[in-house]
Amino acid sequence: MGNMKTEIRFWFDERLGISSIAGFLRKKMVPQHRHSLWYYTGSAILLFFAIQVVTGFMLAFYYKPTLEGANQSVARIMTEVPLGWIIRSIHSWSASFMIAFVFIHLLSIWIAKSYRRPREFTWMSGVFLLVFTLASGFTGYLLPWDELSLSATKVGTDIPRSVPYVGVWVTKFLRGGEDVTGDTLTRFFSFHVSILPLLIFAFIAVHVYLIQKLGMSLPLSVESKKEKVKELPFWPNFIYREMVVWLLLFGILMTLAIFLPPSLEKTADLMAPAPEGLRPEWYFLFLFQTLKVFPPKVLFINGDTIVVLLILAAVILFFFLPVIDNKPAEKKGKVITFFAYVFIVFAVAMTVWSLL
Amino acid sequence: MKLKHSFFTRRQFLNGLLGGWAGAFLASFLYPALKFCFPPTREPDQVVLPFSDFEDMEPGSVRNFSWGTKPGMLKKRADGSYQAFVAVCTHLDCNVVYLPDKKKFFCACHDGWYDENGVNIGGPPPNPLRQLTVNREGEELIITKKSVE
Repeated sequence: MGNMKTEIRFWFDERLGISSIAGFLRKKMVPQHRHSLWYYTGSAILLFFAIQVVTGFMLAFYYKPTLEGANQSVARIMTEVPLGWIIRSIHSWSASFMIAFVFIHLLSIWIAKSYRRPREFTWMSGVFLLVFTLASGFTGYLLPWDELSLSATKVGTDIPRSVPYVGVWVTKFLRGGEDVTGDTLTRFFSFHVSILPLLIFAFIAVHVYLIQKLGMSLPLSVESKKEKVKELPFWPNFIYREMVVWLLLFGILMTLAIFLPPSLEKTADLMAPAPEGLRPEWYFLFLFQTLKVFPPKVLFINGDTIVVLLILAAVILFFFLPVIDNKPAEKKGKVITFFAYVFIVFAVAMTVWSLL
Repeated sequence: MKLKHSFFTRRQFLNGLLGGWAGAFLASFLYPALKFCFPPTREPDQVVLPFSDFEDMEPGSVRNFSWGTKPGMLKKRADGSYQAFVAVCTHLDCNVVYLPDKKKFFCACHDGWYDENGVNIGGPPPNPLRQLTVNREGEELIITKKSVE
């Protein structure tokens, strides 16, 4: 029997080359130190992304991306489809969790300066993933097609318009015309269920490949120590630990999804005035509040144009962070760390202000 | 191989030619694809409304109509004449509401305020509400785009 098993394994290995992958996983080590908790944030994002893919497939069985059918089909998922409300609730909560962990992951790397040589491209592919993840959240918010999501989308897609020259075309491209209409809904559906997931898969592949190629980054405080850092085999020790984290997070997710399912307002009316208490999803609140309190005109320039150009400049600076902060990995970077904390304080303060 | 007076070799020239041709070939596919992504705009030049629907309005009140895919608002002034607006906030495109007791237009998205003539008076809106021209012809109200001054 044992002989047969080996033969079968050999037959497959000859064709697929599994043993080299298995060998790599056996040799892969994960450093163990005070800050190694941050290593788990990446796989937490993967967990929530996987949940999004599976529950997203399921929701697409019943969802209809049309002006007449969208809100009704979501209502049907919530009321008639067996356990439909839980699936939508998980999808909605898991989106929030995914984005929360994206922010935590990003801030931990920002503060630990793990983006430095040779990991510049890992960081840049991560910034792309951040943009795609936020775009998924934004496009998904419209799909239930209720009053709140319509107004939020009108505001969100109008923001690029303030950028000189190209902005108008971006707005038109996102909306599929001058205004938010049924064309916007089908377009957002296409972004949400095909374009963005494909991009996310592709960039995750690049991101994970680079992490494997370059190995785990060590924080400065650990690297500067003389003694050798303790290590844990990736397979199976680290994977088992990750599974414990996943199980814990999944438990929290399910609890929230069951007790706090998302609401569904009445169907959007393109002609109705914007509802009061309009708010985007929590991860856009700090931008929403900034737009709200910024003065309409600063020295004859439209206030929104300034905000949008500032955001654009921030994203570009952010993307090129490894190029701007190109010090060797062992140098401290107090200014960069300071900016990370400025960003955290700004985002939290603006979010709290918008909730008052 | 490179001729004496030439700036580049024969290989560079042929590579440039091939590359340029390949780029132009791909661009010729990009154009129709981009074209496909932008459907024709649908803002109407004019909208015709039956006057009977708006005859009974109280002076100072407002009634909605459809200006293409945007909401329009017809307001009856105290003197009985009509005024029409595109009821869309000039800040970030939310639909506005008219509050008759305050005599103001209000946008709930970011707390934008306009007076009864659509002039922006508070909050983030940078410009007044867009006005439309109203003409009565017999039993019809003709709402037209204001010609650009």
